[in-house]
Amino acid sequence: MEQQVNTQPDAPILELSHLGKKFGDNVVLRDISFTVRAGEVISVIGSSGSGKSTMLRCINLLETPTLGNIYYRGQDIQTGNIPLTAYRAKVGMVFQQFNLFGNMNVLANCVRPQQIVLGRTREDATDRAMEYLEKVGMAAYINARPAQLSGGQKQRVAIARTLAMNPDVILFDEPTSALDPEMVGGVLDVMRDLAESGMTMIVVTHEMAFARDVSNRVIFMDGGVIAEEGTPTEVFQNPREARTREFLSRFLGNN
Amino acid sequence: MNLFEWMGKIISQYWLQFLKGTGNTLLMAIIGTLVGFLIGLAIAMVRTIPVRETDSGFRRAVMRAVNWILSAYVEVVRGTPMMVQALIIHYSLFVVVGMPSLLSAIIIISFNTGAYMAEIVRGGIISIDRGQFEGAHAIGMSHAQTMVHVILPQAIRNIMPSIGNEFVVNIKDSSVLSVIAVTELMFVSKQAGGAYAKFVPAYIICAIVYFILTFTVTRILRYLEKKMDGSSSYTICGSQSDPGAEIHIKREEA
Repeated sequence: MEQQVNTQPDAPILELSHLGKKFGDNVVLRDISFTVRAGEVISVIGSSGSGKSTMLRCINLLETPTLGNIYYRGQDIQTGNIPLTAYRAKVGMVFQQFNLFGNMNVLANCVRPQQIVLGRTREDATDRAMEYLEKVGMAAYINARPAQLSGGQKQRVAIARTLAMNPDVILFDEPTSALDPEMVGGVLDVMRDLAESGMTMIVVTHEMAFARDVSNRVIFMDGGVIAEEGTPTEVFQNPREARTREFLSRFLGNN
Repeated sequence: MNLFEWMGKIISQYWLQFLKGTGNTLLMAIIGTLVGFLIGLAIAMVRTIPVRETDSGFRRAVMRAVNWILSAYVEVVRGTPMMVQALIIHYSLFVVVGMPSLLSAIIIISFNTGAYMAEIVRGGIISIDRGQFEGAHAIGMSHAQTMVHVILPQAIRNIMPSIGNEFVVNIKDSSVLSVIAVTELMFVSKQAGGAYAKFVPAYIICAIVYFILTFTVTRILRYLEKKMDGSSSYTICGSQSDPGAEIHIKREEA
């Protein structure tokens, strides 16, 4: 039996409202508000330490926000009305360091979480896992253990593992930053296909070309706040803020 | 008679007792290590339950009390000699309720091993990369599911050498339980040596048996570790032209 999450279907998938996060006295996020609607691909850019990853980790409560609210389909996720595990199953996450389970082979990485969290049968879970492993081009490697794969292969398996849970939205935390340059393309291709298939995605990335070409919306973060937000054309071609221009010129100057 | 002749004589007269002693020593070591491991596993799982700032005051107070009791158990049992524990517990509790000394011995070894195992397992858990916890939590697993399906299988593999150490230590250190008159290997050797007033040959036999036990156990554990590591090779299945194709990838042996 699948865990049911009681929600309002017409509400935005996610809504962040005045989110703030402090580590001790150190304020890392301030007044973060935005909504995510079905099918949107949102890229979050900004320099290291601007709070992008912390913001993403707050969304599925890997970090506990110190201020503000997060609504999933209209329901506040911090009130306990939605079980945390059921919510997390609906909000997939792909990590910079892949975080494949080291004690399981590729297939088990994609099958076991479905059985454990969603209570799917082994056959059902295996069929779904194979479908997504096929999609990311890793079906041939089902017997391999994570330690036997390259970074790019691991990341593609991690994406398949997340997809097999049938999430409503996937959070990508710098998915290509730990990869060798020649591995980046394969992972970005998979993500591009996903975006085109209508998957809702929030992507924290340093891949400016991906942010510009694939996303519908770009959020530029600086010093723990959203400094600028708009369509890729607005942000990349006509940035309103001086700090956005400064960041982009530093990043795109050598391209 | 020389040393070897004495050893031969003692074996020919006392082989049945030695056999029984060896059996009891193994029994204590195996059950003690297994139960101790389970105690350690349980304690380490409880002690690694995350406590968040947002948890209720009651929950935090309970967790603090439980942690205090568990760490007191670990500290007291690790901080006093097993022989002294055995004497106190056996002569106060077990003698009164008529507990057989073998059973007391097994209980004492289990509790003792549990205290060490708690720290060994905790070490195994904290040695696992944070990303493994985050990956499991982010996909929707609870703390218990994360532990059982992801963390413990890897932690246990990593602490196998330490578990083996504990097993070997238990085989040898169960000898101190001869003080509560368990007919284990040491107790039997003392009796056999005493019968002829020839202690050195009896204890040499004793030492040889201990060594055979520990050496065998070490080999078996090494074999188990290899099995836990799984195959060093994997198969790539299918290709564009031939779905039945298989390529076998083998890791070079280090």
